[in-house]
This record gives sequence, structure tokens and C-alpha cells, in this order.
Amino acid sequence: MSVAAKSGSAGRDRVVQQDGGGKLRWFVLAFCLVWLFFTLFPIYWTFITSFKPPAAVSGGPTYLPFLDFSPTLQAYVDALSGIRGDFLKPFINSTLIGLSATFLSVLVGSMAAYGLVRFDFQVRLASGLIFVVIVFALFFGLPKLGLTRIQGIGIALIVGLAVSLLANRLRLPGPVLGNRDVLFWFVSQRMLPPIVTAFSLYLLYSEAGRAGLVMLDTYWGMTLAYTAFSIPIVVWLMRDFFAALPVEIEEAALIDDVPRLRIFFQIVVPMVMPGLIATSMITLAFVWNEFLFALLLTTSEWQTLPILIAGQNSYRGDEWWSISVAAVVSIAPMIVMAYFLARMMRAGLTIGGIR
Amino acid sequence: MSRNTSETMPAARSGSRKATPRDPIKYVFLWPAFLVVLAVGLFPLVFSFSMSFQSLRLIPPLPPRFVGFDNYWTILQTERFWHVIGTTTLIAVISVMIEYVIGFAITLALHSRVPGERLFRISFLLPMLLAPIAVALVGRMMFHSSVGPLNDLFTHLGLPNLPFLTSSNWAVGAIITIEVWQWTPFVILMLLAGLQSLPVDVYESAALENASRWRQFWDLTFPMMLPISAAVVFIRLIESLKIMDTVFVLTGGGPGIATETLTLFAYQEGFKKFNIGYTSALSFLFLVVVTVFGVVYLSLLRPQLEKRS
Repeated sequence: MSVAAKSGSAGRDRVVQQDGGGKLRWFVLAFCLVWLFFTLFPIYWTFITSFKPPAAVSGGPTYLPFLDFSPTLQAYVDALSGIRGDFLKPFINSTLIGLSATFLSVLVGSMAAYGLVRFDFQVRLASGLIFVVIVFALFFGLPKLGLTRIQGIGIALIVGLAVSLLANRLRLPGPVLGNRDVLFWFVSQRMLPPIVTAFSLYLLYSEAGRAGLVMLDTYWGMTLAYTAFSIPIVVWLMRDFFAALPVEIEEAALIDDVPRLRIFFQIVVPMVMPGLIATSMITLAFVWNEFLFALLLTTSEWQTLPILIAGQNSYRGDEWWSISVAAVVSIAPMIVMAYFLARMMRAGLTIGGIR
Repeated sequence: MSRNTSETMPAARSGSRKATPRDPIKYVFLWPAFLVVLAVGLFPLVFSFSMSFQSLRLIPPLPPRFVGFDNYWTILQTERFWHVIGTTTLIAVISVMIEYVIGFAITLALHSRVPGERLFRISFLLPMLLAPIAVALVGRMMFHSSVGPLNDLFTHLGLPNLPFLTSSNWAVGAIITIEVWQWTPFVILMLLAGLQSLPVDVYESAALENASRWRQFWDLTFPMMLPISAAVVFIRLIESLKIMDTVFVLTGGGPGIATETLTLFAYQEGFKKFNIGYTSALSFLFLVVVTVFGVVYLSLLRPQLEKRS
């Protein structure tokens, strides 16, 4: 503290013309350093614990490798040899599912967000209600006619959509919903507690399996579930980034008769790159770390990393060195990604600055 | 100067909208997302809503029977439900408040090019990318009574060994700490992106008028950041209300039911007892809680947002 104050008065001359508050600057730095310690210490702790021999854990806390304890790779050897469960397969599964669900949801979601910013959508409340009534009626009526639940929901979805689309063209009485309401509908999809969504999705998938379309414990089943549940957050986040763009460039391109889709992919997307990257980052982390869906929708073949990590806890009690290895395996790729994405965001921002 | 730009922007935008309201290409943009979300999201909604009016249990099997609002009444009369709502709200509100204040401060620090900003930027964003399950395990290590570094520190300072995970208040505090540790980065990420898209010329003219930093923050930065702030806090509140992984691994809802959250409560009912009707009703009540939160939040905020535009 005293050191910081002393060098603060020494460095003031340099800083003073920039923001006129040398003291403030040192206070800000101190604040950042405290937060840095708070952020990194648990990660450091996990990392060194994964190299500790058992005695260095159970005998009380040890802090410095080589001084407090002699590091060993034993926990990693155990993990790789498969004694504590197969690490490689969940790792590959998480990567494949994470990347494809992120790509699909960011693609589809940001297109929807752009549509909501640049176009007007009008949905009559009456036609929405017609949709709900038809879906409920068919969902409960069709199983009584001998159809399975999955056929029921499929037919209900198609018929409901078709009828309500036609109804939307008629001049039905009642309020007309606009873009805000469409956005709210997307966001509201994330409000339903995941426990119910996951459980009913499990029932839906198992019914689909009985109908011949195997969804449980498959790549497509997991990717579809994660894509659908990432889209609302992508739409919500990307809408703000699109709304901040000036329309003039797109208008100029429209006058030149450039197709809308080309405008979107070649002009608009590069302009929102920082936002797009931030959104992808959040989506990928969400999918990579998600636990509940993976627990219910996979059994063996497509199990992801969080399942493996949770298993480490319940089967092994206080073997913190092996638990730390599992945590490091899940954490390390995210650290690498954070580094590259932070660099990409910097590059994207300089391009934005030139514009 | 600044007022000019903020007034012409929305006008230009709405002008362009009216130019192409019926362009059929707009459905190409919206429909893929709409269809995917509808198809995957509709079934859970319809199914669980219908189940909430029935009594259905898988183990031991109890065939579905229509019971009307019985499930709802049973829950509303359970004291545990209200306790769980209180705990969840407490954790969500306190942790989101702390996250927002610290997050905004760090965002401003990073934006003002504090020395070492590159290192800070990467490390500050890190926690949100880590699996809550793994973070909770790390938390158990940190708060451990005998092998954890935190209690070791307290022993060195001459303080007694604190029962972080076995006393009610400390356990709630531990969960809030982990929430703040993990999710402040989300606030930083979004606010930073928002801050970087603010127009520079407004600040240049403010600097010409010799406005103090404090004034610049309250008159320019904070109002201009209000929309993105509203979005960030809203997302964090909703996500916090659904907190489960962390609590599940850290305390399992204990001691007793002191740290049990709504999702954990639903999990206990749904997956220990497979009491589907009851759990469905519970989650619709959960939905009501979240909706009430959202409506109150938006009505408190709307005057602020509209004053701006």
C-alpha cells in the first residue's frame, strides 16, 4: 500500500495530463489487482492441487510447489490410464457438440435478431390464441384416436402453424403484436425452469426413439437441444449490437440492388464482429458447461465433461488431487479460448475504429 | 451536438423500416430460429402444463388422474416452498447487485487503459467460462474446514475456524461469493462491449467543457449504458433464480434446507420421487415468480429508458 502511494506521487507527472488524477489511477490499479487475486487464486489452487501428492492435501493446505510439496504427475497418469474413467471421449463429445450447437445457434439466432431490428413483424394476438387452442386440442385429442404422443405433437404443431398463419392474414379483431413481443417470446423461452424443460425433453426424445428416430444419447439430439436453448440468448444479445449499427450503409447497398442475404453476410456481419464473438463465447461456454440436459439426455455414448466431473465428486470423496485433474481438464480449453477470443476482440475493435 | 445525433438516429431507422415493411425476405431471417425454438420448446410447455393438473408419479407408478388445482394448493400451503423462494430471491438479488457494481467499476477501469489492462482483460473474463460444476468443486476445496486455504488464513490471523458450509448464514454467503466470482465476468463482458460502441465525439465535447470525470460518468456514460445494463441485469437475475449446479455440489441444499433453491427443490421432487404432476405445478409457480420479477423490474426501469429516447 505504502509502495503504491510513493510511486504514485513519482509517476504523477506522466499521468496528470492524461486524466488529471494520478491518485485515482493508482486506486483503480489497486482495485484491479485485488480482483485479479480474487479471480485467479482459486484457479491457481486447483492447478497446483492437481500436482500434489495425497499427503500434501490431507495434511493441511500447502501453497508453493517444490517448497511446500514435491509435485507429482501421478494424478494425471491415473486419469489418462483410465483408472478414474475415460477422459478422452467426454472431452471429444463436449467439443463436437459445443462447436456445432454454437455455430448453428449463432447463425440462426443472429439472423433472427437482424430481422427483428430491420423489419416489422406483425402477429395478431387472435391468431396466436388460435395456435395455442389448436395445439392443446390436438395434443390431447389425437392420443385418444390411437396416435402416439410424438405424432400428436407433430401434427398439432404443423396444423396449428398453418391455420394461425392463414388467420393472421384475416383482419381479426384484437391487438396486433410487434417486434418487441416477438423478442419477448424468444426471451421467455429461457424463463421456464431447466429442470422441467430437460425432463419433458427426455420424455419427448424417448417417445421419438420408440417411433424409430433415436434422439437420446446421440450427437444430433444433444446438438438440437443445445441449439434451441441457446438461440433466445443469441437473439437477445445480438439485437442490441445490430440496433447500434447505422442503416446508411445497408441503404446504399439496397439502392444498388444487392440481395438482403448478401448484405447481411458480407456487410452487416463483419461490422458486428466483436458482438458476434462475445455472443459465441457465451454460447460455447454455456454448452460446454451445461450439466442438467447432459445428465438426462445422454447415457454413455455422448456423455459430456460435466457429467464426468460430477461423477468424480460423488465416487471419490475427498481425493482432491484427482478431482482437481478433472477440473483442470474442463477448465484448460476455456482458458485457451479466453486468450484467443480476447485477442480477436481487440483485432475486431481496431477494424471497427477505422470504420 | 450529442443531442442531435441521438435524435436523428432513431428517426433514420424507423424511416428505413417503413420503406421495406413487406419485403418477404424478412421471413427467411426470422423463421429458422422461430421454428427450432418452437418445435423444441413447445412440447415441454404443453406437456408440463397439462401434467400440473394431474397426479402422476413414475416410482411407485401412479396413473395420471385429473386433480385440478390440487397440486398448486398443496405447494402454496407448504412452508418449505416459501422458504425456498426466500432463499432463491435472496441469493439472486444480492449476488446480481454485487456483480453489477463491481462489474461496472472494473469495466470502467479496463476502458480507461489501466496498466496491465491486457492481462486483466483475459483473466477477468475467465471464471464465467468455467463449468459451474467444476467451480463448485473448487469452492468446496477453498471453503473446506481442514484442508482449505481460507480457513488456514483465518487460523493465521488468530480467528476461529469458520463453518463456511455447515452453518446456514455462512453457507448462503459462500454461494453468493461463488456466484459473484463466476458471473461478474459476464457483466464485465457485456458492459465492455457496450462501452466500446459509445460515440467518442460526445466525450470529446465534454472534455472541452472541462466536465469532471464524475460528471461525465453520471451525465454521459451511465445514461448511455442504461439499455445494455438493463439487459445484463435482467439476464443475470433470471439465470440466478435458476441456480442449481453450484448449490447441488457445494452444500446439497444443506445444512437442513438452508440453501435449498427453487430448482434444487424441484429436482428433489422430480428426480428423487419422480412426482411429475407436483414438479410441473412447482415449475409453473416458478415461472410465475420469474414473470413477477420481470414485470416489476421492467416497470421500474421503463421510465428511465423512455426518458432517454
